[in-house]
Amino acid sequence: MARQYGSMKKKPVVKMLVYGALSGLLYAALFWNQSAVTALFTRGTWYAALPIATAFAISFIHGGFTSYFWSVLGVEATRKSVRTRVVEEKHVDRERPQPQPRLRARL
Amino acid sequence: MHNIPFEAANFIDLNYMNVLYLFIVGFIGGLVSGFIGSGGAFVLTPGMMSLGVPGLVAVASNMCHKFPKALVGAIKRAKYGQVDVKLGLVFGVFAEAGVFYGAHIQEKIKASFGDAGSNLYVSVAFVVVLAVVGGLILRDAIKTYRSGNADAEEKLSSIAKWVQSVNIPGTMVYFKSLKAKVSLLFIVPLGFATGMLAATIAVGGFIGVPSMIYVLGAPSLMGSATELVVAFVMGLGGSFKYALHGLVDIRLAGIILAGSLFGIQLGAIGTTYVKPFVIKLVMGVIMVIVLFSRALMVPVYLSQLGLIETLTDTTVKILKNSSFAIMSFALLTGAFIVLQAMYKGRKAERAMEEKEVFENA
Repeated sequence: MARQYGSMKKKPVVKMLVYGALSGLLYAALFWNQSAVTALFTRGTWYAALPIATAFAISFIHGGFTSYFWSVLGVEATRKSVRTRVVEEKHVDRERPQPQPRLRARL
Repeated sequence: MHNIPFEAANFIDLNYMNVLYLFIVGFIGGLVSGFIGSGGAFVLTPGMMSLGVPGLVAVASNMCHKFPKALVGAIKRAKYGQVDVKLGLVFGVFAEAGVFYGAHIQEKIKASFGDAGSNLYVSVAFVVVLAVVGGLILRDAIKTYRSGNADAEEKLSSIAKWVQSVNIPGTMVYFKSLKAKVSLLFIVPLGFATGMLAATIAVGGFIGVPSMIYVLGAPSLMGSATELVVAFVMGLGGSFKYALHGLVDIRLAGIILAGSLFGIQLGAIGTTYVKPFVIKLVMGVIMVIVLFSRALMVPVYLSQLGLIETLTDTTVKILKNSSFAIMSFALLTGAFIVLQAMYKGRKAERAMEEKEVFENA
């Protein structure tokens, strides 16, 4: 059943290839002219944003690629854990119902 | 941090072997981080330095790889419902303050006692924290395993029960991972200590995760996942600070990230296959092994400070190499336990599904 389910489930091969190509391009751009990149990225002040932005770009692009890579290989989270996913319990401050005083007078 | 020289540091030339080495160490570090929420950094910094990277550049580049890695790990584990973003952000803000204060203390020690004094302080911090916290975690994990209740829901520690029972008006915040309101006044010192440890030994999670589990009362899975949010906040602030001084070698950070993003995805997936005590087991084992690694270096620094008899160059070399080897062994052991637990979990799940099919047929 697990294998049938796995084979029925479409694997994100195209996504993996697209993200992989983008990741390759990003790394190529970084290493193509290393000396110029490091000189620009280490100027300090506003240039400090460059390594930070690059790190974010790698996390998005290469992170996407690695995620799809493991999915294509069939290494995914156990379906049991997905089924029993922790459901966020909304915390609501409920007010206790106040007892209503009733007069039980008998005539 | 104020004394950081404002100049582009001498960045090393990278060859294929260096790249491969950083990629592999990054992958293993990422695998462990994805699983226990931290770790890996303590091997990466000395690992880079062994390639000839200057100390500050190694620290800065390591930090710049840490925050994107933590971000990817946090997003992945959030998909499994394991992350408490609010707790992570609150914890992270106070941890950031701890990072700055910890760096300030490091500077003062370095100015007063030199490099050897600073290294001794780091090693002693390593040994004390890892001995106390690592010992407690490992004991708890072994106790749970032996009790035969490994599948049972984790029980709140007595400290966590007390912390959750204290009501200080105006400071109470609800956290979904704790399923309770907790006073911010408890989170401030815990976050601060996490940041201080991160500034000292590069792995704040060795205090962050246990404090979320044992002091605040978060389940192991949520504590370790939420630590990734804390690491992101701390890493982003620290990286920016180092980048302002031109100390981040983006090539090094990029190569390590290339490996660690593969690792962190796998480590995060691994958490869905294991029982909660395995997280504690991996963390405890790594902490205790690393403790021995750093303890070996204490005589070297004591000798450099003239507090004990001077050690020969050969002895110093042997101690340094042994220390690094033990540290690498700690990371490999952690990675091995993660992969083994994941393999067993997958195997058990497949067996169960096949049994279900057989019964239905």
